[in-house]
Amino acid sequence: MSVLGADYRRDLGIHSYPVLVYALTPLAALVLQALLPRYLRGYAWFDLPLVVTVYFALVRRDPIQGMLMGGSLGIFEDALTGRAIGVNGIAKTVAGFLSGSVGVRIDVENHTIRLMLTFLLSLLCSAIYVFIYRILLGLELEWSWLAELMKAVGNSVIAMALFPLLDRTQIKE
Amino acid sequence: MDSFILRYRNLLVLLALLLAQIIGLAVQVRRTDSGRNTPDPGDMSGVRLIRLWADAVVTPPEQLSHAAKLGAKGLWQNYLDLRSIREQNQALQKTIDRLRLEQASLLEDAKQGERLQALMDFQQKYIYKTLAAQAIGSSGSDSSRVFYIDKGSTEGLDRDMAVITADGIVGKVREVFPHSAQVLAINDETSGAGVILETTRIRGILRGNASGQLQIVGLLADQRIQRGETVLTAGGDLIFPRGLPVGVVEKVVPDPDRDSFIDVIVKPAAHLDRLDEVLVITSTEPRFSAEQQQDMATSETLKGAEADAIKQQQKASQIMAERLPGLTDPNAPAANPAAPGQTAQPGETPAAPAAAPVPKLLPARHPDRFTPGATPSIGEENPTPAGPENKLESKPDKPTQPPSGQPGRNP
Repeated sequence: MSVLGADYRRDLGIHSYPVLVYALTPLAALVLQALLPRYLRGYAWFDLPLVVTVYFALVRRDPIQGMLMGGSLGIFEDALTGRAIGVNGIAKTVAGFLSGSVGVRIDVENHTIRLMLTFLLSLLCSAIYVFIYRILLGLELEWSWLAELMKAVGNSVIAMALFPLLDRTQIKE
Repeated sequence: MDSFILRYRNLLVLLALLLAQIIGLAVQVRRTDSGRNTPDPGDMSGVRLIRLWADAVVTPPEQLSHAAKLGAKGLWQNYLDLRSIREQNQALQKTIDRLRLEQASLLEDAKQGERLQALMDFQQKYIYKTLAAQAIGSSGSDSSRVFYIDKGSTEGLDRDMAVITADGIVGKVREVFPHSAQVLAINDETSGAGVILETTRIRGILRGNASGQLQIVGLLADQRIQRGETVLTAGGDLIFPRGLPVGVVEKVVPDPDRDSFIDVIVKPAAHLDRLDEVLVITSTEPRFSAEQQQDMATSETLKGAEADAIKQQQKASQIMAERLPGLTDPNAPAANPAAPGQTAQPGETPAAPAAAPVPKLLPARHPDRFTPGATPSIGEENPTPAGPENKLESKPDKPTQPPSGQPGRNP
């Protein structure tokens, strides 16, 4: 992994996208995350809002944007669950922050780095979720690390297909 | 200060966001008296606005997705149904075609059954012995009206046997093979049959003409022959028994070759153009059923009894005639009966037939004026020249009648 200087990395390029992509991609991620588990039953091993958050935070190389997008999507996810609102928000805010921060320092065009980052951030989000739910809030939660591991793998697989598709929507300067 | 904020801007924002959300979580969760933390149900009468927004964001696409899914499912099912319906349609069409063929076959069988039933009924009722046969082929030529039947010499057929149907005569057997026979139809030009018109009793010869029509030829023009009159076989041709229906008179046309002669065109009773089953008359010996034979025996018995009764009556009258007083002169010479078989000589008048036996008149013991012979004859009272009417005495065979005819009125 090549570590670059900050100014060089900024000059390297901050990708921009059409507004519709900014608006519809997170919305589609939310809708599909609410819709697909109905059909996949117990095999919904993915977290599409997290994948989208990681992508946009990486390519935009902006931790604040990543935090805002991750926090918003997480809060909306919580709002759909009927549980306490903010648990997913906190986890995805942290994920957005880390993605944006990493994107400033590493070459995010590399697919392997993207997949590894997605995998690790998925596990981190799961850990934050469990920490907040069980430790911070003291609520009961059924938990399986295997399921979280499968979710991380699933997110990586989705990222492998989704990131190149979203790359094609970049505005060329 | 500004540089600090600018330098740690990202971390500050992160902390702010995390703090805000943690505070939000803290608001939502409360500790119960038992020491357990539970989500705060809050005011259950309403919905948190954030949940309403999330629902407003997610629900329309979900509904759209659901509608699309239903539409796609319906479309797919319709497509599958359409495919299956198409296959079913083809299968049903094949079934319909097969059933139509079967129906046509059954209909043909039913018609044949009806024809055979009618033929069998006719065969059973008909007085002569017949053999049912199936028309199996034709001559293949319009000029020759012959056809072939599936019975031959093996089944007892012979030449010149009449071929008929229940409707009427058809033709005659012309050639006989072991298992088939050739039949000459009556509308062939070379065929002929003796016929009689039912009402007018006019006899003629039935032939076929070049166009396959039946016609009675060589008849003298007769106004009585009308259209629609039934034509029957006359029985004189030794082929067709008499009384079989031949057809009806269709029209009467003048004979083109001979004046004052006519040809009678006959519409055949049998369907000569579509023959399927026919009967061949194999024997002209009358064939009676048991009932008919019983009726005939009864009739013969009755006829014998009647003849016996007549004979008895004649015998009784003869005896009575012998016993009654004689009306004839016993001394009169006996009539000269002609010997049976004796013929009159030329120039002679034939002998009078023998007089019927009449009672003889015996002489009265006490004659009175009513006694025959006591009354003077007309010739004695009023002598007149002898005439033929006064020769009663010369006719002793006849009884003498009283002169007035009413003896009671004569004193």
